Amino acid sequence: MSVTPDTGATPVTLNKPELPPQFRVSARRQKRLPNWGLKAVMAITGVIGALFLAMHLFGNLKVYTGAEHFNKYAYWLRHVGEPLLPANAVVWVLRVVLAGCIVLHIVSAAILWVRGRKARGKFSAKRRGGLRSFEATLMPLTGICIALFVVFHIADLTLGVQPLASETFQEPTDTAAFAYQNLIASFSRPWSAAIYIVMMVLLSIHVSHGLYTVVSDLGALGKRLRAVLITIGGATAVFILLGNASIPIAVLIGVLS
Amino acid sequence: MKLTLQIWRQAGDTDSGHYETFEVDQLDAGMSILEMLDRLNEQLLHEGKEAIAYDSECRESICGTCGINVNGRPHGPQPHVTSCMQRLRSFHDGATVRIEPLRAGAFPVKKDLVTDRGGLDRIIAAGGTVSLMAGTAPDSDAISVGHDQVERALDFAACIGCGACVSACPNGAAVLFTGAKITHLTMLPIPAIERNERATYMVAAMEDEFGPCSLYGECVLVCPQNVPLSAIGSLNKERLRSLFHPRI
Ligand code: HEM
Ligand code: SF4
Ligand code: FES
Repeated sequence: MSVTPDTGATPVTLNKPELPPQFRVSARRQKRLPNWGLKAVMAITGVIGALFLAMHLFGNLKVYTGAEHFNKYAYWLRHVGEPLLPANAVVWVLRVVLAGCIVLHIVSAAILWVRGRKARGKFSAKRRGGLRSFEATLMPLTGICIALFVVFHIADLTLGVQPLASETFQEPTDTAAFAYQNLIASFSRPWSAAIYIVMMVLLSIHVSHGLYTVVSDLGALGKRLRAVLITIGGATAVFILLGNASIPIAVLIGVLS
Repeated sequence: MKLTLQIWRQAGDTDSGHYETFEVDQLDAGMSILEMLDRLNEQLLHEGKEAIAYDSECRESICGTCGINVNGRPHGPQPHVTSCMQRLRSFHDGATVRIEPLRAGAFPVKKDLVTDRGGLDRIIAAGGTVSLMAGTAPDSDAISVGHDQVERALDFAACIGCGACVSACPNGAAVLFTGAKITHLTMLPIPAIERNERATYMVAAMEDEFGPCSLYGECVLVCPQNVPLSAIGSLNKERLRSLFHPRI
């Protein structure tokens, strides 16, 4: 076999003897779902999640432009592309992609978590405050809270399931959406506003550590590139936190009604 | 100075193990932790008891044979220092110090403080040797490797394979170690030829026995050779890269 080295210099011939059997990595030893593959899945689904959150934030902030504009946006989301596409087409594509991502993300997280516990053994490691130890430790917890929150959020503002949704919840009709009224009604309940505010804190912790992890999982190694991407991750998380959490606060203090 | 030691005793790999307490007196703050164990062992042999088993070889931070958890920290309280170079001056006179083996699922305890860290050797073996028929010796300047590049490769080659990073990791991962081993070879032109094959095999061997990385960053705090966290991103890059460049 003739192979040219990366430097483009003289061709070198590979003459590699078979390894003795005890040192060979047989196919059996390769995990069917390797950790690096699961991490890549988590990274990609996590980034899709973060992109969705950024888009969702952009939509949410329209609440400050008034009821009519916000409801029009909600209506547009369900009817974008008509008559080329059937009603709700885009919304459903987004729902399916996001649900798929969440399932892949959670399944990968669970497998990695179990493998980590097994490799750790009986004696737990004392945390000494590594670079991101605190956030990394929180990942499963913040993740589970996010999963529960997604259920609550959909029941509250999309499906209007009682008693999670407000009593005055209105379903969208073919000609109008009531997203603004539903949002104000939900956030006027202090416990609901509190859930949203606390969850935005947890979500931004998850996303800031997540986006940092992504950089390394997808192979960026230099200190400088890491620093740049960590800053982007942190900034995204701060925007999600401040932008979204401002809405329930604005409702509670009466700026929005 | 005087110290109270709580030391892990385990007769063999099937024994469940327990802590045993000892008092050691007339210690010097300049002694290493291993010299303190030597002193204790002399005392034990004098009393007709069995000495405490532990590993060491060079005692100058180059071989990676030593390694014990001191108060829950791999190698000991001083960051980036091997057990053989940790001095007793880190402790107050009269302090109680807990000494146990390097803990990790992949490092079974063989006896007292001795663990089997063969899993790390199996990762190295999976990478194989850099075995090339390079023909006659090439001109010395034919393939130039810049000074900075060499220095960077040496930062990763500095790993002494002690296994402290695995023991510090809440996931029992050997990613810092494997990343260091793969990266220093990838940075040099001849070993780089086999980088894809090496990444595939070494990562498979690593995942067979060790855990996944969640980027806690605990490993770099204890690494006696200061292997940088970049080793982890580099390992992921090499493994993903090998998907797109199957060379061999
Ligand atoms: C729905 C419930 C969720 C659960 C249970 C969950 C759980 C986890 C866990 C346990 C990790 C750490 C994995 C490891 O490093 O070992 C993680 C990483 C991550 N999460 Fe989530 N998460 C959830 C939702 C989300 C959402 C909505 C986003 C979107 C912003 C997200 C973004 C990320 C990212 C970017 C990572 C880093 C991926 C990597 O490269 O390893 N997660 N998640
Ligand atoms: S990376 Fe550092 S801590 Fe890990 S085995 Fe190498 S020298 Fe030891
Ligand atoms: S005995 Fe060689 S590094 Fe400690």
